[in-house]
Amino acid sequence: MPIEIPKDKWPGSIKTVTIGATSTEGGTRAKSISVGGQASMPYLHYEAPMPNKPVIAIEIKSRKPDDWSPLLVEAWGEAMAEPAQWAKKAEEAGADIIVVALTLADSPEDAVRVVKSVLSATGLPLIVWGPGQVEKDNELLVPVSEATNGEKIVLGICEDKNYRTIVATAMANGHLVQARTPMDVNLSKQLNILISDMGMPKDRILMDPTTGALGYGIEYGYSVMERLRLAALQGDAMTQLPMIVTPGYEAWKTKESKIGEGVPEGWGDWKARAINWETLTAIALVESGADIVVLRHPESVKRVKAAIEELVTI
Amino acid sequence: MQHTVSFTHNDKQTPVEVSTGVLLSDAAQLAGLDIGLPCGGQGRCGRCAVQVTDGNVRRRSTLRLSPGDVEQGFGLACQTVVEGDVSIYIPPQEKIERRLTTDRVVAEVTVPEGYEYPSDQTVRRIHLELTPPSMDDQTDDWSRLQTALRLQANIKKVNVSLNLLQTIGDVLRIGEWNVTAVLEYPLEDLEQPVRLISLQPHHVDEYSPLWGCAIDIGTTTVSVWLVDLVSGQVRAQVAEYNGQIARGEDVISRIMYANKNGGGQELRQRVLDTINELLETACKRVKAKPEDVVKATIAGNSTMIHLLLGIPASNIRLSPFITAVNHPPLMSAGDVGIKIHPQASVDCLPGVASYVGADITAGVLSSGLDVAEDVTLFLDVGTNGETVLGNRDWLVTCACSAGPAFEGAGVVNGMRATIGAIEEVWINSDTYEPTYRVIGGGKPKGICGSGLISLLSEAFITGIIDKAGNVNLMRSSSRAREGAHGGEYVVAWGTESESGEDIVLSRVDVDNLLRAKAAIYAGFTVLADTVGIPLESVSKVLIGGSFGKYINVEKAVQIGLLPDMPWEQFDFLGNTSVRGAYYALLDWRKREQITEIAKRMTYIELSADNSFYEAFTSALFLPHTDMSKFPSVASALER
Repeated sequence: MPIEIPKDKWPGSIKTVTIGATSTEGGTRAKSISVGGQASMPYLHYEAPMPNKPVIAIEIKSRKPDDWSPLLVEAWGEAMAEPAQWAKKAEEAGADIIVVALTLADSPEDAVRVVKSVLSATGLPLIVWGPGQVEKDNELLVPVSEATNGEKIVLGICEDKNYRTIVATAMANGHLVQARTPMDVNLSKQLNILISDMGMPKDRILMDPTTGALGYGIEYGYSVMERLRLAALQGDAMTQLPMIVTPGYEAWKTKESKIGEGVPEGWGDWKARAINWETLTAIALVESGADIVVLRHPESVKRVKAAIEELVTI
Repeated sequence: MQHTVSFTHNDKQTPVEVSTGVLLSDAAQLAGLDIGLPCGGQGRCGRCAVQVTDGNVRRRSTLRLSPGDVEQGFGLACQTVVEGDVSIYIPPQEKIERRLTTDRVVAEVTVPEGYEYPSDQTVRRIHLELTPPSMDDQTDDWSRLQTALRLQANIKKVNVSLNLLQTIGDVLRIGEWNVTAVLEYPLEDLEQPVRLISLQPHHVDEYSPLWGCAIDIGTTTVSVWLVDLVSGQVRAQVAEYNGQIARGEDVISRIMYANKNGGGQELRQRVLDTINELLETACKRVKAKPEDVVKATIAGNSTMIHLLLGIPASNIRLSPFITAVNHPPLMSAGDVGIKIHPQASVDCLPGVASYVGADITAGVLSSGLDVAEDVTLFLDVGTNGETVLGNRDWLVTCACSAGPAFEGAGVVNGMRATIGAIEEVWINSDTYEPTYRVIGGGKPKGICGSGLISLLSEAFITGIIDKAGNVNLMRSSSRAREGAHGGEYVVAWGTESESGEDIVLSRVDVDNLLRAKAAIYAGFTVLADTVGIPLESVSKVLIGGSFGKYINVEKAVQIGLLPDMPWEQFDFLGNTSVRGAYYALLDWRKREQITEIAKRMTYIELSADNSFYEAFTSALFLPHTDMSKFPSVASALER
């Protein structure tokens, strides 16, 4: 007997956001990446087709980080010393987007040079993060934004206490912004309102609801993402934005990933455990509706990509 | 078409020719006359009012003008356009000021209609003439006094304290057996004995004042009204910050302090000092002595009452949040430590729960919520943000910690609503220059609650701060600047202020105000949700709180403190708690009504689930994350 699966019809849908511009679009990227556009809860293909699948961004740093796990250093090797090389390797590892994370040690000139070198080394669209300190973020991101006018880079990370400068320069130079709030539906909405109040079109904002790693609050992050998506589908315009989350950053700061010695034997092989941690964190978030997951280890990228392929195959 | 506008200003006439549709403010400028436009000509401040004495005009907006004003021909110069030959009277600026200014420090109080002394009053003064003793009549002094009370005042049983008994013999003889007794009648059981409070060795004029006091102990502010129980009139009103503030701004931190060794005793002494100083000030004002005060009625939240009485309050803070006593029995002032007549009774009004105390039951009484026909919302915009919803059939209540920001505490340049406080602010949306009004008219010392609401709203509407409360430093004004804790806005430069220091609204202040208003807004929305009443069906919103009666509704709605409803549905009642205590002090029926109110109220615990937190974070924005709840603010922003 055929079974009729009940279908939800939602009044709202997610905006489609396009990152990166090709030469015909005024940039230099080999291709641009579109995310969002969903009109149902994640992967309910029988309710509404999913026009864009989730994508993977790989995070690289403008300088070789001294606090990253030796497992990551082993994976990327010498390339970590040179952002352009690192970006190339990341593209080979399967990245759809490159995240360039600037550091406190960078001068504005360094920042511009690094971002330009990554742009020429790879054809992928870019996300550029400041080091995460208000004044320094603004000092570095404004010249980067101006030097890359038209590339449709995502600039970040905007927070409710510091968003004006980043949004203003992104608007002036045709870029996008990443808007981060600490795991709360209302706070996400509020920052989106503040940014769009400045005149930024909604299809140039990515919403970053913040997440926790597996065992470190992921269920809370998961639930916030699910509720954001439900609000969006119910017609709340201020939540109808694609979501970006950073499971790589979260997973690699857990004790389970960071520490290889002096842990209970039952924890098993360090490398396998660390990669599993990042992979499982990322896949859970993809299932809750993440459009972009930012990862660190090439092996995790491979596994998450495979999981996404399965999810989007009807 | 050309018209003649003829202005009269300072007894001088100035005609000017303008075409149809020209604003009166522009016409005045053409005529070389200066009409101040504090809000930049947006029709928001009402300070450019002029009187049209003859001819045709069209008023675009009459905001800030009463229908009576319009009837008298008043119009806002910045909102009124010429449609024919007109005559305009420009009142002197200070006259406009006076018309719009009302004293906000002292509440207007009229004696409740029908108050009758002594029948409504439990404390009565009786003149007695005793038969002097002799060799033939050797009755003891106390029996002699009891006999006189029985024969002359129909009092069958009377109680007396040892202290008073020790003085009776002397008083009777000094007064040559002509004395005045002050007695307190029992409230409930008339078979109970009457209590002798004092005996004076002379005949007191029956119309001379008999003093009582109504006291409201707020977490932030203590208010005392000194009342003549004979006429029923409030003869002095005084208020001061609660001396306990130095040991914590909210009830929770006070309770924690009280748990420390000696902390409870210190807090008790601090509030007693505040009360006693206020009583002394009030008595001085009417040339009375504190010992002349023979009755005190006290309202206050449950924690304040516990701390006043030296009763441990720790269980108020701990789940399941139980008070030691909601309705303390009558006590003597001497025992409590209030320096009025030591035999005077201290009547602490009944509370409902740990976080809905006697201040709220008194507030409900004085606001009339318990007898209202339609669904009414009562908000106490104070530190504890108590809310009551209901009518004569049902009452539900909750409390949410709003903090003391609206009482001017916990704000860098905050102060109570007294002389020197900036109580209203207008900001010009082109220049970002403020205009403000100071209580008393002198140099500003700080900003009071209504001033803070007004300032926050103006800063928001003019774009100086964004919806999250960030000061927008990109605006080209030296008043928006980087302060010690983020952006700040300078309301008054040091050259204008009393202290010589700049008066600013800092980032921290904005956060405190946002939290306070969000807590209050979330409190009543959750309460209404709990009983399934949509806010739209609330017919009246009654607002109590120490920032007085004259808070600007439009601005309170613009910051999202109050729901976006028609202005006529709001009523500002000032300090409803002290007023309720005053009613209960005067009339024993009102006193019994409060006991009834306390029994009827159903308390809703907001911490029972997370709906309050959700409502709170969504209200932590200007005016609210859900803009559809504030259509009038949305259209104000578009303008």
